[in-house]
Amino acid sequence: MSNVAIVSGEIPPPRHDTFLAAVRKGYFATPGAAAVTSVCLALIALAVWTVFRWAVLDAVWSSGGPDMCQQATGACWAVIAARWRLIFFGLYPYDEQWRSALACAAILATVVVSCFPFSWSAKRLPLVWIAGYGVFYGLMRGGFLGLPTVLETQWGGLSLTLFVFSTVVVTGMPIAVCLALLRRSRLPVIARTVAVLIDGIRSLPLVAILFTAAIIIPYALPHFLVGDKLYRVIAGFSLFFAVYQAEIIRGGMQALPAGQEEAAHALGLNYWQTMSRIVLPQAFRHALPPTINQVVITFMETSLIVIIGFFEVMASGNAAFSTAEWSATYVEVYVFVAAIYFAFTFTLSRYGAYLERRLNVARH
Amino acid sequence: MNVKALTTAALLAGTAAIVPMAAYAAAGDTLKTVQARGELNCTSGDGNFQGFFEIDDKGKWHGIDIDYCRAVGIAIFGSDEKVKLIPISWAQRFPSLQSGDLDLVIKATGWTMSRDTELGVQFSTPYFLGATQFMVHKELNAGSVKDLDGGTICTAGGTSTERLIADYIKANDYDIKLVSFEKNTEASAAYFANRCDSFAEWGPVLAARRASAPNPDEHAILPDVLAMEPEAAAMRQGDDAWVDLVNWVIAVGRIAEENGITSKNIDEQKANPKSATVAKLLGVTPGIGNRLGLSDDWAYNVIKVIGNAEEIYDRNVGKDSPYKLERGMNAPWQKGGVFVPPILD
Repeated sequence: MSNVAIVSGEIPPPRHDTFLAAVRKGYFATPGAAAVTSVCLALIALAVWTVFRWAVLDAVWSSGGPDMCQQATGACWAVIAARWRLIFFGLYPYDEQWRSALACAAILATVVVSCFPFSWSAKRLPLVWIAGYGVFYGLMRGGFLGLPTVLETQWGGLSLTLFVFSTVVVTGMPIAVCLALLRRSRLPVIARTVAVLIDGIRSLPLVAILFTAAIIIPYALPHFLVGDKLYRVIAGFSLFFAVYQAEIIRGGMQALPAGQEEAAHALGLNYWQTMSRIVLPQAFRHALPPTINQVVITFMETSLIVIIGFFEVMASGNAAFSTAEWSATYVEVYVFVAAIYFAFTFTLSRYGAYLERRLNVARH
Repeated sequence: MNVKALTTAALLAGTAAIVPMAAYAAAGDTLKTVQARGELNCTSGDGNFQGFFEIDDKGKWHGIDIDYCRAVGIAIFGSDEKVKLIPISWAQRFPSLQSGDLDLVIKATGWTMSRDTELGVQFSTPYFLGATQFMVHKELNAGSVKDLDGGTICTAGGTSTERLIADYIKANDYDIKLVSFEKNTEASAAYFANRCDSFAEWGPVLAARRASAPNPDEHAILPDVLAMEPEAAAMRQGDDAWVDLVNWVIAVGRIAEENGITSKNIDEQKANPKSATVAKLLGVTPGIGNRLGLSDDWAYNVIKVIGNAEEIYDRNVGKDSPYKLERGMNAPWQKGGVFVPPILD
């Protein structure tokens, strides 16, 4: 190819291999490569076929019930048909579960709305969340307009998972920013104290924090301060989230050249202006990948609240298959719950990728 | 049990320092507290424990433990609508009892000395005896554990069951290989896939697994019993009247069974009591109520709604349930079991 170019004295047009040619060159260049490729393809095909046969061809769908499943060789999706309401709503009273579904939708809508750049202002964002939580709480808890009261101990399933997750992130994020700023304070007393606080909480396991919030706090606080177990646990969880996130944000700040802050001072901006207009926006841009990471991990970790007796979606899934009729169908239920988690975390990470693209566009 | 037991141990060790201080603060007249609150706070689970507490398609709890919670509620309030079944993890049950979040723990809880003495917990009379047993493939024709010599046993690792079996095999000098799995679902799956000759677990769990096996008739539960655990209700130390009440709620189910009273025939029996005991039990002659601070028809209400001890057993784990667990030692002494109710005089 290069010889041709030299001979003719012209630069040849860039050559794009056709798809087939590219495949041949990339995967079947030598007999050895061809063999490896064929074997891998065969293995992948076998795996896909096995899963497909299990999940679709040999599967028992809705009707039939547990008896048919005992004979079937494939998946028993009948368990999902019979128990999906338990997985989605946990112990929430059966006749009121539409409220839980609506509340779930309200939280989701709030998250979606606040993900659009349109809502990113100090006025709009809190408004969106207060409205979202108001609707959620009203629907879930009830006690007005003829809706029977449903106590927090009966909340469960996906709406509980989403509620805990979004509250932890929404309350944890501002705390994290405060902690990060305090840790960079020029007053050593404040910086050191906050550093000890952050490192102290980070060295405790989350389960221990949740357990303490649920069980030990009632002993330590006067009764009127105790509140419901759910909110204590969420408070403990957001503190845990906040200390990790604070370090992520601090990392983002330290990635900034010192000249940025100095230039801001030279322009006569005060501390708050420097932080809110110069430092934090850039710090967040640097900290975006680990932040998305932390948020995804937090979503996964919500399943830990089962340790203090909450029926979030994972625990509800466990309850869905562990009865006499369905106890052989745990794989199906786990696959279903995994699909729910996947839908949420995959959306989150795609959103993270979108944010990165957007912020990069803004930079160039 | 396995992971849960470890977490429990770790967390309890952590809370142990704090719990005893508060233990007595929360004690007192539990019955009055419950009546004033208008609700009985009893345990349910953070998941299912088959036959003891499990959730149906409509999110309602069922099981032996749930029935006893309801029975206590009915004894106090006359109906089970005021029983609040609070989802509680294994690790959380005793701390929540001490903190006053719970009035009563009925959650497949074994009566052990450390719980009884060190945790500030008082146990009721046992309402269930749980045995650790073996399930085998019927085609092996094994009549007892001895016949498994040279074979394999699947079980969940890190549990008390695993230790019990290891001790049992060693003590009897059998050549049996123990295959441990992380969870008992994995262990039972391995057993059903013919990876092992037998599967060892708590009897009710074995029965539950057998019920959901592809061919339940191909599996037998061996009569050998490795260990017997008495399950009892747990209450805060220091409220004897409350313990009495719970004991008598458990007792009336057994007394009713002895006298042939069921939830179906109770009204005939009440109209025509055949003995002084029955008359007292059903509140025809006074006495059963005010000794416990309840109304005289409390036992009638309990049996009418929940049934006698046999009905509770059969409905949840016995012949009317999917588990079909033999009653064995859980029967009263007249039927070959070990239970003897106290005397109602």
